[in-house]
Amino acid sequence: MATATATAGITEAAPRVRRRTKHGGLAPWLFALPALIVYIVFLVYPAFSSLFFSLTDWDGLSPAYNIVGLENYRAMVDDPVVIRAAINNVIWTVVTIVFPVVIGLALAVTLNGKVRGKPILRMLYYTPGVLPLVAVASIWGWLYNPDYGAVNTLLRAIGLDGLAQPWLGQNSTALAAVMVPAIWLRTGFPMLLYLAALQGIPQDQYEAATMDGATRSQQFWHITMPNLRPAHYIVLALSLIDSFKVFDLIYATTYGGPGTATQVMGTWMYFNVFQYYHAGYGTAIAVVITLVAIAVSIPYVLSQTKEHHS
Amino acid sequence: MSSLSSASVPQPAAALPDAVVATGQPTVSRKPRSKGGITATIVLAVGALIWISPLVLLVITSIRPLADFIATGPLAWPKEFTWANFTDAFRVGKFATTYRNSAILLLMKVPVGVLLSSMLAFALSKLRIRFRRTIMFTVFLGLTIPIYITIVPVFILLRSMGITDNLLGLVGPYLAFGIPFEVLVLQSFFRQLPDELIEAAKMDGASEWRIFFTLILPLSLPALVTVAILDAVSTWNEFLFALIVLNSDVHKTIPVGLLNFQGQFANNNTGLAAGILIAVLPILLAYVVLQRWIVGGLTAGATKG
Repeated sequence: MATATATAGITEAAPRVRRRTKHGGLAPWLFALPALIVYIVFLVYPAFSSLFFSLTDWDGLSPAYNIVGLENYRAMVDDPVVIRAAINNVIWTVVTIVFPVVIGLALAVTLNGKVRGKPILRMLYYTPGVLPLVAVASIWGWLYNPDYGAVNTLLRAIGLDGLAQPWLGQNSTALAAVMVPAIWLRTGFPMLLYLAALQGIPQDQYEAATMDGATRSQQFWHITMPNLRPAHYIVLALSLIDSFKVFDLIYATTYGGPGTATQVMGTWMYFNVFQYYHAGYGTAIAVVITLVAIAVSIPYVLSQTKEHHS
Repeated sequence: MSSLSSASVPQPAAALPDAVVATGQPTVSRKPRSKGGITATIVLAVGALIWISPLVLLVITSIRPLADFIATGPLAWPKEFTWANFTDAFRVGKFATTYRNSAILLLMKVPVGVLLSSMLAFALSKLRIRFRRTIMFTVFLGLTIPIYITIVPVFILLRSMGITDNLLGLVGPYLAFGIPFEVLVLQSFFRQLPDELIEAAKMDGASEWRIFFTLILPLSLPALVTVAILDAVSTWNEFLFALIVLNSDVHKTIPVGLLNFQGQFANNNTGLAAGILIAVLPILLAYVVLQRWIVGGLTAGATKG
């Protein structure tokens, strides 16, 4: 029914185009303001407020504090945990983007071929993505259990007793062990996006290539990959945004430990504010990571703001 | 770069609002390659089985007695089955309380969030609001803001309002962090509805509110449902705000409750498995039933519909 009305309207549309440049006055604001007020009160204002707190020595409890300027930011340079956390954030970002994107792309390309039960397969691969991160952490903590966990049991069962170890409990393996569940739950999303993008590639491009005798791998590199460029961009931008926010998974599996082996900026910020009562310092850490996150994602945000071409 | 949202990512047929959902369940893609259908299916099926094996193992472990688990190890097929783990976990984990709290939160947050977001999306896409680009940029920037930049001031704000350790305190922050994604999806969807529809209704003397409620919302039902489902999933799963705002056990939501439970059941592997399953069961069921909408919404949100 909607389509019928729409087509009827189109014929009269032409003469009205000019008037569109005029602004709608007050009425649009009545629609926009409720959401904007909530957004400003609970997101914009707190973010700027944090910017202020990061310039103070506030402990988070007492009513009084001093403004110390950029002291908190200077102190970060001398804080070995911040250095550790920053390095971990970078490792985390690279690993939890590269693996999910590559595996997700491989899955999407295979799923897009001649495969039976496509919807079910797609559903299974995305399943970890809907779970609460705390539950994912619990599941993997349980799999990694040194004595009764499935991981070590499996290694022993196939004769690799030497490899059985306390995965989450030692410095050398803890970070890698936390990244495995992250890869597990994040692979589904690129898969979905690539799958959608693959279905938009015109079939005749492949047909023409086949006629010219191009191999499957030639077709992949010369037709599929160039056509996926917009999808790559979106996948990378969203993955980047997501990996800067890492908190839940690490908090719930290793609590930043052992020692500081798996600290990231998010958890270290949390510990400073809520465990050590260095609210000023903690918010400074939050400010830094937020600025980095915003800086790398501005191109994406701008692209979403752009007008439709139609 | 400039064409990233429109080029080869499939654009749902502009005139058909239902198309956003359809992206998830795409029309048959006829591949000329007939080779390898069976092999690919088997490889993918085995892969999928390995992929979800942690969950399968979780289910099997949750229905066997602890003694059996300890005696034969986590990978052995159980000799006995029992439901006792679930009753134990349900009681010790206080899941009756955390379930109720998460459900209340969901009901308070999701409808309001979808309504506010669709109003803003309507203003941005169909009403000629001033500073449109600025508003869109500011709101979409919210997609990139990590929650922890706001937690200290939000906590102070909630304390001054007297709603810390209260589910009500989570509604504001959850709304604010949900708005960017919802507006992103909804405004691109609304934009596909023909302007002529609105012009025609205006000619008939309908107010903006009337147009919004009787024309835009009904026509956008698929998008609204998708956004509501995704919003419900992230509300159900949210952890950091809930961890900070809620202190007493009676107010805790599922993720925070699960974390406590995990500590208490550290040495009871079968009970822990049952508890984890209890916590994720609603979300898994919802996912299986609604996966078409979830998949479509995720794709639409990222690619601008």
